[in-house]
Amino acid sequence: MQRLPRLALGLPAVLLLLVFLVLPYAEMITMSFRASQPGAMYGLGFTADHYRKVMTEGLYLDALARSLLNAAFITTACLIVSYPIAWHMSRARGRKALLLYACVASPLMIGVLIRNFGWMIVVNVDGPFNRALLAMGVIDKPMRLLFTQGLVALALVHVFTPFMVLPINNALRNINPAVLEASESLGVSRFATFWKVIFPLSFPGMQPGLILVFVLATAAYVTPALLGGQMVSLMPTLVVQTLIGTFDWPLGAALAVMMATAAMVVVILFSLATHRLMERVRA
Amino acid sequence: MSSVEISALRKRYGEAVALDEVSLTAQQGELVTLLGPSGCGKTTALRCIAGFIAPDGGDILADGVSILATPSSKRDFGVVFQNYALFPHLSVAENVGYGLLFRKCSKDERERRVAEVLDQVQLGGLEHRLPRELSGGQQQRVALARALVIQPRLLLLDEPLANLDARLRDDVRWLIRDVQQASRTTAFYVTHDQAEAMAISDKIAVMKNGRVAQFASPREIYQRPVERYVASFTGEANFLGVQVERELCPGRFRVRAGSAAFDVKGAGPFTPGTKAVLLARPESLAIAGVVAGQLQGRVTKSVFLGAVQHCEVVLPDGASVRLGVPPDRSLPPDGTVTIKLDVERAWLMPEVAA
Repeated sequence: MQRLPRLALGLPAVLLLLVFLVLPYAEMITMSFRASQPGAMYGLGFTADHYRKVMTEGLYLDALARSLLNAAFITTACLIVSYPIAWHMSRARGRKALLLYACVASPLMIGVLIRNFGWMIVVNVDGPFNRALLAMGVIDKPMRLLFTQGLVALALVHVFTPFMVLPINNALRNINPAVLEASESLGVSRFATFWKVIFPLSFPGMQPGLILVFVLATAAYVTPALLGGQMVSLMPTLVVQTLIGTFDWPLGAALAVMMATAAMVVVILFSLATHRLMERVRA
Repeated sequence: MSSVEISALRKRYGEAVALDEVSLTAQQGELVTLLGPSGCGKTTALRCIAGFIAPDGGDILADGVSILATPSSKRDFGVVFQNYALFPHLSVAENVGYGLLFRKCSKDERERRVAEVLDQVQLGGLEHRLPRELSGGQQQRVALARALVIQPRLLLLDEPLANLDARLRDDVRWLIRDVQQASRTTAFYVTHDQAEAMAISDKIAVMKNGRVAQFASPREIYQRPVERYVASFTGEANFLGVQVERELCPGRFRVRAGSAAFDVKGAGPFTPGTKAVLLARPESLAIAGVVAGQLQGRVTKSVFLGAVQHCEVVLPDGASVRLGVPPDRSLPPDGTVTIKLDVERAWLMPEVAA
């Protein structure tokens, strides 16, 4: 009798995962092994040809490598930007803390399209950003920022920051302040205290932040498509082009499976590499 | 290994006065305890000494030199915290060796000193454990070792036993005292537990509302407190309202309580005819046969505790006193008893603190 209610409590979550995660993935994996047929969603029979193609053609491998590297760069930049914010947030109390929470969460309060159109307006050749720089005399002719990879990275870091800041803030708040006083009283500088104590103890917040941002950055489609133009081919763009451009669903599915697998492998390797540290610092 | 002099230390938090002209001294090698209830300023004082907070006024001298401008990290004071404050991600040996990492100290010497101090606090063999794998008593001993390994000029202990269970408390308390004595380290110790303070200290500062009510040896504090507050905070205390008759010789007064008269010691001065308070610890009271000129009372409560029985006796003026009676002593059925006061162990105090 004791176990039954607990099982019942978990049931909605299990059903949700089954219907919206396991079944779609199963469907996608099945699709990736189906034969292609022009003019139809898929043809008769099963084949591993798509994977052979995906694994051997430079176009796809390049796009995958570029996507992963891009995501790694964005994740790192996001960490560097987020850590100081998380630190200030963890020290703030009352109204100030509330205000910081609102600021940090603000990128998520705007829909993805509106946010990206906003970027377009701001960085346009004739937009406020260029005008301001011109007026200040920093530049003498407008910079072309739209459709550059730098802008894509900036926009992605901007929107992913909350996913990094919030867990790190949480971990920093969990550090007993007396531990920092102890370090200080033992004659250790603040800089050394940061690297020896604060940084490792905040890792339980950094790990989920890094994983979340990496996965989101790998799969990001709308922002690169709108702000990056079509010059650089990234994996998500290729998947969408294959699905709705050439309408080759089996190949698109194979590409999507490969992208998901690659991201998952990175996450697993990262978790394994940081397992020992995590074991040490878990609360 | 320093002498410390604290003079007229002041600290306010908004309207609340945390420290009010606190002055204390610790000679080299002494253990000075700040004793008082929560909110009396004892922890604030300790945190000022450690350098975690800056006082509003006053000065702290170590070996005659003011340290107020010196940051905590340059003071060379070892601090032991109430909640241990160990580095949760570092092993016992790493925790203890932490303070040596950034000093001029070779790896070999560091390892030798860590092993030495771990041995001193009886933690040999646990070097590779993480703090969360240790009991509370073991964690507190790691914290002590971590503070001692840097050979601090001063050891600061903030309620180090508060989170331990009663049985462990004695062990760790003995250990702290032994290690402090062996290393001849000057120490400040904060606690709200009078028994702990008595057992461990060379000197005790009893604190009240940010002030030092009395600063003296444990014996002095217990036997010759300056006011009721100090007397009741340092142990079981009975207070008898008395009238001072006259001074018999310097430091000795004849006082009258109802029909009984006693020649007792006290610090004075007391003006003849004024009211005063006579402190009678339970051990200075005994139940005797009916003797003229002694206090009469009626036993209202008694509990048998094995080695002793505790009684509460109500006096004719309504005051009640507590005392211990030998366990084989039977009490009269009507409860009427005579209380014998050992005048050498009683202490006369002014009605209000000077």
